[in-house]
Amino acid sequence: MADLQHFDVAIIGGGPAGQAAAVALSGHGLSIAVIDEQPRPGGQILRQPPARFAVQAWLEGRSYAPLKQLLARFQALSGITWLGEHSVIGVQQGSVMAMGPEGVTTISARHILIAAGCQDLAVPVSGWTLPGVYAAGGIQAFLKGQQLLVGSRVLLAGTHPLQLLIAAQIVAAGGTVAAVMFAQPRSAMIGALTKHPLAALRRAPDLLATAGALRTLARAGTPVLFGAKIEALTGNDRVSGAITNQGQVACDAVGLCYGFVPQSAVPRMAGAQMKPAGPAGGWACVHDEWMRTSVPGIAAAGEAVGVAGAAAAAAGGSLAGIAIALDLGLIDADAADRAARQPRRALLQHRAFAALLDAAADPTDHFPKPAGDTIICRCEDVDHATLTGQVSAGGSANAIKLATRCGMGACQGRNCEPSLLRMIAETGPGSDPGFTARFPARQVSIADLLPPE
Amino acid sequence: MERADVAIIGGGLVGCAAAWQLARKGASVVLIEAGDINAGASGQNAGSLHFQIERRFLENGDDLAEQGAQIVALSRHAVTDWATIEGDLAADLHVAMDGGLMVAETAEQVALLERKAARESHEGLAVRTLDGEQARTIAPYLSPGILAANFSADEGHADPRAVTPALADAARREGASVRTATRVRTIERDAGRFRVEGEGLALSADQLLVAAGAWSTEICALVNIHMPLYPVALLMNATERTAPMVPHLVQHVGRRLSLKQTHAGNLLIGGGWPSRLAQTPNGGFDLSARAQMIPESLTGNLLAARDVVPGVTQLNLIRSWTGVTAISSDQLPIVGPVPRVPGLWVAAGGSAFTLGLTFARMLADAMTGGDADELALLSPARFEHLNGFMG
Amino acid sequence: MSADRIIHGVVRGEPITIIVDGEPLACFAGETVAAAMLAAGVDAFRSDRRGKPRGLFCNMGSCYECQVTLVASGRRVRACLTQAVDAMEVVTRG
Ligand SMILES: Cc1cc2nc3c(=O)[nH]c(=O)nc-3n(C[C@H](O)[C@H](O)[C@H](O)COP(=O)(O)OP(=O)(O)OC[C@H]3O[C@@H](n4cnc5c(N)ncnc54)[C@H](O)[C@@H]3O)c2cc1C
Ligand SMILES: Cc1cc2nc3c(=O)[nH]c(=O)nc-3n(C[C@H](O)[C@H](O)[C@H](O)COP(=O)(O)OP(=O)(O)OC[C@H]3O[C@@H](n4cnc5c(N)ncnc54)[C@H](O)[C@@H]3O)c2cc1C
Ligand code: FES
Repeated sequence: MADLQHFDVAIIGGGPAGQAAAVALSGHGLSIAVIDEQPRPGGQILRQPPARFAVQAWLEGRSYAPLKQLLARFQALSGITWLGEHSVIGVQQGSVMAMGPEGVTTISARHILIAAGCQDLAVPVSGWTLPGVYAAGGIQAFLKGQQLLVGSRVLLAGTHPLQLLIAAQIVAAGGTVAAVMFAQPRSAMIGALTKHPLAALRRAPDLLATAGALRTLARAGTPVLFGAKIEALTGNDRVSGAITNQGQVACDAVGLCYGFVPQSAVPRMAGAQMKPAGPAGGWACVHDEWMRTSVPGIAAAGEAVGVAGAAAAAAGGSLAGIAIALDLGLIDADAADRAARQPRRALLQHRAFAALLDAAADPTDHFPKPAGDTIICRCEDVDHATLTGQVSAGGSANAIKLATRCGMGACQGRNCEPSLLRMIAETGPGSDPGFTARFPARQVSIADLLPPE
Repeated sequence: MERADVAIIGGGLVGCAAAWQLARKGASVVLIEAGDINAGASGQNAGSLHFQIERRFLENGDDLAEQGAQIVALSRHAVTDWATIEGDLAADLHVAMDGGLMVAETAEQVALLERKAARESHEGLAVRTLDGEQARTIAPYLSPGILAANFSADEGHADPRAVTPALADAARREGASVRTATRVRTIERDAGRFRVEGEGLALSADQLLVAAGAWSTEICALVNIHMPLYPVALLMNATERTAPMVPHLVQHVGRRLSLKQTHAGNLLIGGGWPSRLAQTPNGGFDLSARAQMIPESLTGNLLAARDVVPGVTQLNLIRSWTGVTAISSDQLPIVGPVPRVPGLWVAAGGSAFTLGLTFARMLADAMTGGDADELALLSPARFEHLNGFMG
Repeated sequence: MSADRIIHGVVRGEPITIIVDGEPLACFAGETVAAAMLAAGVDAFRSDRRGKPRGLFCNMGSCYECQVTLVASGRRVRACLTQAVDAMEVVTRG
């Protein structure tokens, strides 16, 4: 284990939330560490290409513009220690343990902000463990960050409208999308829009981006289907097709897009109080009006407090930064309130839009039906039939984990927990708190945890 | 009101094994567990089957070492109990008894090993003392820094995830009633019987067995009895899976270390390193809140592992967790009848993964009219002085 | 089937070679090991207990399906977060 580094503030995550918090905290002479396992800041929405690449016309869409401005401001800040390629493996009040290329570092900080973002909801369906089947966000990150098209005929399937955007980006990059399949009927999506007309209006640019995506796909002749449910993904050594309720589709890559869940390993390990994050599942940090979690000295912002999009993440990040300045006595309550007015208003607006998206994208009734031998826990190869048996015997998620190894593997249950909790929820009311989060949030070499020999 | 011959509180290894043994003898048994079966120490422990005298008995002087030696007699029974349990339950519990090594790195520790081996052979436990070379011949994964080791051929490990649920299933098959998600709230003594109540539970039993691990003190308090058991929070670590590398149980005579490889291939590293128990707002320990990892425990544990099995440094740590178990004021388990309250039995404290099957079998004998002579050493009677004003 | 690099409007780092399971694999400085492997048509990172090949899944560090071993250090790392470096040798569990 390497040296101890001290900072006034440690921010976990260099996405919009972490950037906005750093910007809000700048100018006070604080020492701030921003820790991210990606080499460059940007977060999931602005996954930057490597510094070695030069990419013309990178993320030119209108909705990316304000985020790129924020990123530029962040990158121009002085007094920030950017700890890229560092994965946070543990957090306790006042300290963060991070694993980087040189080993493990312990960082002490008076205030910690968890802005670790979200991840794609992993949705099991027969054949989903075949090479070539990806979380849709992963396909998009290859596009944005590596300038790579994962296949020559990509099928996108799920319930989340983001898959339209991803499909359009693939087409714009010269790729082919076999189809975009929404499992829900079109009426479910339109219904959500008409139920929240105000929120929809206020976020017209985002909806226009969707409309733009639809136009791009129409020009390319890409089918966008509703009520189209995948039943199985097929192939021998890699995916070569999908069986759906609307026939078979040939493809050499699949992106599953049923929504996003907060990255909750770090706050749960720190003992922060959590709440169910939304219809896609997962856990969000409970926070007060200043983004403080239940653990003193630990705040949370961005998708860590619920999946509401990049603009909401940035607003929440600003608010958290202002609150930390307040808690450190750098500004007084009046100044904090004044500064918080704008981000608070923005947060409210964006959350209203997020509620609309949640309703439109709600996967609850549209998940594929796994077969008995469909693997639910990818790391430990635990199949659906095994879990069905355990769930019907009435065990909690922790008891089932203990009994079957579901959630005990390399990913620490990040992928399978929502699936298992859905199965448990189907057996009746009651709320299962999910797996107990364990150290380390990312696996770490034992050599790195020890002083050199 | 529901009636039973025996009520058992606690669905860990001890409670479930006792339920099975008592039900087999024809007793009507109700087992009551606050959470899930195996939710306590029994599902969180290291799964070591250690029959050599434990390091904790050796580090505090000769008197304690002498007591530790007396447990060896029980360990000999445990060897048989573990060798037969998979057949008895018709279940795969991943019991592996391929031998265990207790290693030494310094001359002082070597001397400790030798004294320990002498005590053990006096108690009839076969232990061989090997020098470093001999140890590395049977265990090539050991560091060149190992100077000597005691080898016990019967030691090994079993899968804590599998054992207790299998015992609970066996108990059910023998007719025991197993109630999970039922926390015992009150216990009344009523005309020589015990009235045990909790959510959805009202039970009257002739005898009551407290097998609630670290929570046993609270349960005994419900019957107005002091039981000097103290909760301890212990750290465990698991590596990623790797090819077969360590067939034995590995322990250290002078440092806190237990290391083994599970059937799935993960190395489990523990040995009694503390985590910090959560506290209640008004002082005291809060066993329902999660304990905090102590970074020094993590490094201390992994350092000991590296010094004994250098190959571990090549592996990734995938999970660390804390389990809460109970230790008694004199380190020995407390198992047997409580003199002041006829019909009340306790089984808690100590290394009751290794010894739990044996405790349960002997208790079941004693509770159905047999004698408890072999458990005399562990009898709650030794704390009778604490209960002079209780009962 | 292999993944395709977008060429138009993209200038990559200099060409380098990494070695995957003993086979040289041409790629570009700055690319992740995962991207380099996919672009070369290597999409199986391990086999599961049924003996079936597994690919990577999330490309953001959370699923651990892309783990490979770096031969030089013996470290097991996530290929989607590891930058390819010339002559880097990696081993999958395919
Ligand atoms: C793959 C993916 C693609 C997405 N694409 C879009 C899109 O195109 N359009 C859209 O509107 N929304 C998209 N989203 C949602 C989007 O992430 C959010 O709207 C927004 O980026 C959230 O901002 P944030 O600051 O909360 O988190 P993020 O932007 O996700 O930033 C969090 C950062 O924390 C880092 N991190 C997480 N855990 C750790 C750890 N343990 N140690 C170190 N660092 C850690 C991550 O590497 C990440 O860089 C996507 C989400 C994902 C997961
Ligand atoms: C990390 C760790 C490693 C260990 N390693 C080893 C080892 O390698 N070898 C070994 O021999 N021993 C080991 N031990 C010790 C061993 O695990 C315990 O001695 C043994 O599991 C105790 O079993 P038990 O049934 O008495 O208690 P537990 O398994 O703790 O069960 C007690 C049960 O009582 C329940 N309960 C509590 N209150 C109530 C209530 N009011 N109503 C109803 N139910 C209640 C609890 O929910 C719990 O399930 C280890 C312990 C720990 C913590
Ligand atoms: S692909 Fe999921 S961790 Fe790399």
